[in-house]
Amino acid sequence: MTMTSAHLAFLVLSVPLATAGFIACFLRRRGGLAAALSVAAAVAVAAGAAYLVLTNERFEIGKEWLSLGGLTITFGFHFDDLAALMLSIVAIVGLCVHVFSLGYMHDDGAKARYFAGLSVFMFSMLGIVLTDNLFMMFIFWELVGFSSWLLINHWWDRPTAAAAAKKAFITNRVGDFGFLLGIVMCYWAHGTVNLTDLAVQVSSGNTIYSRAIPLLLFCGAIGKSAQLPLQVWLPDAMEGPTPVSALIHAATMVAAGIYMLCRIEPLMVPDALTVIRWVGAATALYAALCAITQRDIKKVLAYSTLSQLGYMVAAFGLGSIETREAGGSVLIAAGVGAAMFHLTTHAFFKALLFLGSGSVIYGCHHEQDIFKMGGLASRMKLTFVTFTIGVAAIVGLPGLAGFFSKDAILYLAFANDKAVFVVLALTAVLTAFYMLRLWKVVFLGAPRSEAAEHAHEGGFSLGAPLIVLAALAFFGGYTSFYPHVFGGIFSLIPEAAGQAHLVILGTSLTVLAVGIGVALALYPASAVTAGDDPLQLRFPALFSGLVALRESFDLVYDYYIQKIQQRLAMVLNFIDLLGISGLVRALAGLVGLAGLGARALFVGRVNVYVYWFLAGVVILWAFAAGLL
Amino acid sequence: MIASGLNAYLALSFALFLIGFLGVLLRRNTLVIYMALELMLVAATLALVAFSRYNGTVDGDVFVFFILTVAAAEVAVGLAIIVALFRQRQTVRVDELDALKH
Amino acid sequence: MADFAFVFLAVFTVICALGTILSRNVVNGAMCLLLCLIGVAGLFVRLEAYLLAFLLLLVYAGAVVALFLFIIMLLDVHGLPAGARRLWGMVGGVAACALLGAGLAGFIVRGQLPEPRAGEVALVGASLKGYAESLFTTYLLPVEVIGFLLLIAMIGVIVLSQKSEEANPP
Repeated sequence: MTMTSAHLAFLVLSVPLATAGFIACFLRRRGGLAAALSVAAAVAVAAGAAYLVLTNERFEIGKEWLSLGGLTITFGFHFDDLAALMLSIVAIVGLCVHVFSLGYMHDDGAKARYFAGLSVFMFSMLGIVLTDNLFMMFIFWELVGFSSWLLINHWWDRPTAAAAAKKAFITNRVGDFGFLLGIVMCYWAHGTVNLTDLAVQVSSGNTIYSRAIPLLLFCGAIGKSAQLPLQVWLPDAMEGPTPVSALIHAATMVAAGIYMLCRIEPLMVPDALTVIRWVGAATALYAALCAITQRDIKKVLAYSTLSQLGYMVAAFGLGSIETREAGGSVLIAAGVGAAMFHLTTHAFFKALLFLGSGSVIYGCHHEQDIFKMGGLASRMKLTFVTFTIGVAAIVGLPGLAGFFSKDAILYLAFANDKAVFVVLALTAVLTAFYMLRLWKVVFLGAPRSEAAEHAHEGGFSLGAPLIVLAALAFFGGYTSFYPHVFGGIFSLIPEAAGQAHLVILGTSLTVLAVGIGVALALYPASAVTAGDDPLQLRFPALFSGLVALRESFDLVYDYYIQKIQQRLAMVLNFIDLLGISGLVRALAGLVGLAGLGARALFVGRVNVYVYWFLAGVVILWAFAAGLL
Repeated sequence: MIASGLNAYLALSFALFLIGFLGVLLRRNTLVIYMALELMLVAATLALVAFSRYNGTVDGDVFVFFILTVAAAEVAVGLAIIVALFRQRQTVRVDELDALKH
Repeated sequence: MADFAFVFLAVFTVICALGTILSRNVVNGAMCLLLCLIGVAGLFVRLEAYLLAFLLLLVYAGAVVALFLFIIMLLDVHGLPAGARRLWGMVGGVAACALLGAGLAGFIVRGQLPEPRAGEVALVGASLKGYAESLFTTYLLPVEVIGFLLLIAMIGVIVLSQKSEEANPP
């Protein structure tokens, strides 16, 4: 039987699962072997993905899996251009992270568990990418959440890590509740959850369902992609190992929300899109404000991720746009194009930044405070160069990947919603500011601690992924470099034309200059010490205001959970104890009582038992006499 | 005059059985209970022989053989048990032998 | 005349049976049992089952009652202390007697079987040959089983009457 693309896709999906299962069963104590197996699986996935993508075969195939009454859940693949793009991102970044983990986690005690978790994650993420209906997507959605919990919780003996893992999972669950409601409502309204079938449904936008369904489904994206108000889990998720942060919390899992939104694009109505774009914009601005005050290198990158995700969500929410084609103007789903383009470039440069920070942390012997680093430019040259490329990409230096994708979003905002355009431009200023602050404080100047003095590079397995990702971050913005197979998506990217083009170019260059300038001005080499942040020293009120902004969400949630939810839980517990388990125990008590009664008959004296004989005789006699 | 037909014998057998049963019920000495049990067995044999006589067969008589044998064996074993019990408990009164009480 | 024998034997048997269960002294009770068995043997003779009457006296009255007497004397049982009566016991006893008496009355009044006349039925099987023929052809299996039962009873009695290893305090 020849291997069709569908078979190959199934193989790509199941190889990581088989690997994880094998490691869990047999290789618990053989960390090195488990690592090698997992990396081999990642290579296999990358090879299979490359083949699938480059042969340009697009297919849809489904098999009925579960049939409950009128509801049929199929297990199928829907492999179009969008899936191909996402698959290649997941495969490439996954492979880089696996290789990086070989070096980074070399001395760890529980390598087998870590690599099994990575494999489970790859399986779940590939499931989300390849699936063709919302139910299966929800199943893989939950699996991704689970593997995220598993990996954040890797060093589970740290109470902060355990708490962070729980927080991530529970916050995701809150979003998933909305997601599930959306799926149910979608099934109820349209009779199907298959993505291709949904694509041909026309949303008139008049009924309440047509607004409710996309918004409820968006709740899943709010949870998974950490938008306001469920963004609280992502900064805490940095308790996991750095490669995990790179893979899951930067490039792939959090992007799953965006991917899901692009998938359900046919269901969107203008009202829902407005909500989505403002949630995204607000998240972008909020996260950028929070990132300014961070001292931990990973937390800065985490808030940066939040901000960029806000960009993507806002881009999606900006909807369609008219473009000039050869024959006339046609409406294209530019939101999808812009969001996916930014997702691609963001995956590359954010993974690069995280892995770079991993290399820095490793080199400085697990020091994560940026004010205790410094002077690493001369000591860790490869990391410095690649990290610089990453920073340049994210702030939007012309020519690199981030420039093109950010410009596409800005153009879309300028064309569709000027208020969002202003917010996003402001966020771009802040992005440039905090990224430059990070870069300068970590790499330039003089070393501010022992660890930074003796920093060194990590070795081949830490360096090679950095090089690969740096190359992708450098060239990733030129869509012509991509294989033509992605044409379906990249044709949706809005391109500015004419006067708008100049406006956007000017805007992006301005924000870049402003952000970089302020960063360089506020953090001269002399002002940066191992103690406080110079910003805090110069503008203490502003600084504490920003810190309060960051902590506000956690405070509110804490209050709610402790004062309201906990009390509700106690009430329910009481009702359960009294009513439900009380009822069951009462019945059991009755049985016990009957037992006690039977026990009382056992007097032990034979002459009493003979009376029972007599009773038996009397009964038989009555029976014979016809009385009974 | 009481007729001596089959029914008379059966009534007598019934009466002996009842007396035996009352003995088991009312007496508290194990040995007396045992004797009353034997009385019940004898009543059964009487009924069997009466039936055998009035039906003209020998089967009832033959069955009495078996009852006799079984009764003998049972008495032997039962008295051995009573002796062993007496050795343990130093009593043969039934209302003092209630170790199996809950 | 024939009836008179039956009546006499019947009354004798019943009085001795009552004596067995009602006598205070256990040895007296055993003696009354013996007399009762003699009465029943007489009744067997009336029913023309001579062999059985003989066997009854031999086995039952001879062996079983003798065994009873041995054990009674071995255990050196004293009579029941007086005044140990309980109310429930008395009530139960009276009720039981009443019930059983009612049963007997019911049988006499209503439970009569159709009666063949004594003279019409042929006498059969009073000879030893008849019994032997029946025992060893039709009822061979029960005979074997009874033999086995006797073996088991013997072994059981031997085991039961052994003194136990640990000396129990007397």
